[in-house]
Amino acid sequence: MTAEPPAVRVTHLGVRYRERIALHAVEFDVAPGEFVALAGPNGSGKTTLLRALLGFLTPDEGTVELFGTPVAHLSIRERARRVAWVPQEETLRDDVPLAQYVLYGRYPHHRPLDRETESDRTLVARILREVGLAERAADGILSISGGERQRAILARALAQGTPLLLLDEPTSHLDIAHQLDLLTRVRALSRSEGVTAIAALHDLNLAARFADRIVVLSRGRRVADGSPRNVLSEDLLARVWGVDAQLAVDSRSGLPYLLPRRLISETRPAPSALSPGPVHVVGGGGAGAPLLRGLIDEGFRVTAGALHLLDTDAETAESLGVVAAVEGPFAPLSSETRTHHRTLLADARVIVVAPFAVGPSNLANLEDVLPFASSTPVIVVDPVPGRVLDFAEGRATAAREALRSSGATFVPDSETAVREVVRLLAGARAPAPEATAER
Amino acid sequence: MGGGLLVVLSALLGAVDIPIRLGLQILLHEVTGGRVFPDACAGTGLSSTRCDAYTFIVWNLYLPEVLLALIVGAALGLAGGALQGVFRNPLADPFLLGISSGGTLGAAIIYVYHIGVGNADLYLPAFAFLGAVSTGLLILTVARGRYSSVETLLLTGVALANLLSAILSLVLLYNPAGSEQVTFWLLGGLGLADWQVDGIAFGSVLALGTLLSLYGRELNLLQLGSDVAQSAGVDASAVRLRVILLASLVTAVAVAFTGIIGFVGLVSPHIVRRLAGSDYRVVLPGSAAIGALFLLGARDISYLAFPGSLFPLGIFTAFAGVPFFLFLLYRQRRLAPMGGG
Repeated sequence: MTAEPPAVRVTHLGVRYRERIALHAVEFDVAPGEFVALAGPNGSGKTTLLRALLGFLTPDEGTVELFGTPVAHLSIRERARRVAWVPQEETLRDDVPLAQYVLYGRYPHHRPLDRETESDRTLVARILREVGLAERAADGILSISGGERQRAILARALAQGTPLLLLDEPTSHLDIAHQLDLLTRVRALSRSEGVTAIAALHDLNLAARFADRIVVLSRGRRVADGSPRNVLSEDLLARVWGVDAQLAVDSRSGLPYLLPRRLISETRPAPSALSPGPVHVVGGGGAGAPLLRGLIDEGFRVTAGALHLLDTDAETAESLGVVAAVEGPFAPLSSETRTHHRTLLADARVIVVAPFAVGPSNLANLEDVLPFASSTPVIVVDPVPGRVLDFAEGRATAAREALRSSGATFVPDSETAVREVVRLLAGARAPAPEATAER
Repeated sequence: MGGGLLVVLSALLGAVDIPIRLGLQILLHEVTGGRVFPDACAGTGLSSTRCDAYTFIVWNLYLPEVLLALIVGAALGLAGGALQGVFRNPLADPFLLGISSGGTLGAAIIYVYHIGVGNADLYLPAFAFLGAVSTGLLILTVARGRYSSVETLLLTGVALANLLSAILSLVLLYNPAGSEQVTFWLLGGLGLADWQVDGIAFGSVLALGTLLSLYGRELNLLQLGSDVAQSAGVDASAVRLRVILLASLVTAVAVAFTGIIGFVGLVSPHIVRRLAGSDYRVVLPGSAAIGALFLLGARDISYLAFPGSLFPLGIFTAFAGVPFFLFLLYRQRRLAPMGGG
């Protein structure tokens, strides 16, 4: 017995629009009867992927197979008997009766001069019952409500009687009740009739609630794929959507859901020359990145140093537009870099020391803070009290103890450090950037 | 039944008054090959020369004119319905797209450069037909690129129509002698009608119209957008090309024999939609029927309103059609807002 071919097999799919890459090396299979949600930010390639599955566009690379046959080998009519499409909306001009509109879906099953048969009508009546529009069968398609319209579009697609259904943001114009209603119906179909469904969905919570599987696209690439439980994470939201979100689990269904909190800094108003600060972060190796982000988010001007090129902190600083004293990769700090670093330290109104690993090449970072500790408030992030990442033969530990004795504040984590800076500079802070950034 | 009566009565209307009884006798005589009313003018006391003259007028002038009005009206109505369907635009008609401007330019070239003098009956329709068809083909060729959409196609047609009008004006500016005849052509009329013309027109419109009417279901689906149509199994771009080509050909036949007769193609599909709904399987043949009646009615009313004058039909269709159309539009508006558009 040969194995059943997948409903959809996408192999190394690449699509370019002129110079812009819309899809790159996308691969995945969809098993018959599966309900897959396609997620991703605007412009991530969801619609392009759906159009490739429908055979609307010719890929520049790779292939799409529907039930074992390359979509390019199918005639338009054959395709329409395998896959039906529910668009985001249809521009309807003519007020045709609903039942007739749904009958349009039978087109691929007719030959040129055929009239609709009795069995077509029976089928349409059954579908209209299934989508809850039996009473509206004689009404004009323009006279029904938006929620009913979307169900009518679904009904027209179902009338094609295809084993595969593609939906492009089918719920984007619907209120929450109609969103749930439509997706419930699609899932019921997939369960009861074995219809395979692939739906582009913006709402990740809806995707998690209804889909068996979520495929995430970002900039034309498949970046995550799996069950909602495995795919949805705070990290994914931050990486793909640039959104700071909290992941929670619904206690009744056990399904994950997301509470979006705010956009991550890039899109927040950048600190200006008038913003309070500067606050100087001493870090390296990525230990300073949360501090840099947190402080920028709070609206402070931030400087950093001395960082090594290519290190995570240096890249974070650059992407956030933070002024930093920078040294070449892995090199010991030069006297120029140290001078630059000392200038930044001298200008700072608060100095924050990240829990960075200290070795011979960056020990000077820590030691240079000491002369300023008497005049400038210093906050030291100290996650595990007494344990210092000291690869400099105890000199790092000594330097930190010196900071402690000259009055530096020790805090357990970066968030507390940011709160401490906020408290210290409370009077000087610009009026609540929170209010503009949170939605 | 009613249509037949209208045709018979219309055949008695024209520049010369025909007494009703005499006219009916002549028609019966001719239709039955002389078996009924062996003497067509029996009981009217007309001399045989005058009887022959009346017979000629009714049978060889009026009736062909009536039939040509029906054929051309049907052709224009059908082309209008098909083009409105394919462009999803209630304003589309053969004139907006420059197809008839192309025909006019073809006709103008005949008059202005004295081509085929003495054989105008052949050359005039031929050139008008070629002008119209090549315009249709040009639109399709120009707009056949990779990024063409319905809108591109429509705009190409509109741009081309303007270009052709400009060329026509230029030709006439430098050859004022031909302008009077060309103006008459621009106004449209049934003057070329005879049995031969009717035969050619009928045959070609019937054939093209039948083909065009087969695209009703595809046009229904195209109304939902080409993507949706395609997902439901319609080869949208192929259907578009074929329908525009057929509509151009049908229009070209009409323009070839009657010049530019406006408004029939625009208004007929709208009337059908108001009366019978938007199913293109009904709209296409319905527009042909309404177009035929509309043009015949316009001809009759022009003769009734201005007896004895040869009023250009193209002017009259607008005079009669516009108020009627606006009435329909606003009467319906009050009942239900028109979608889209």
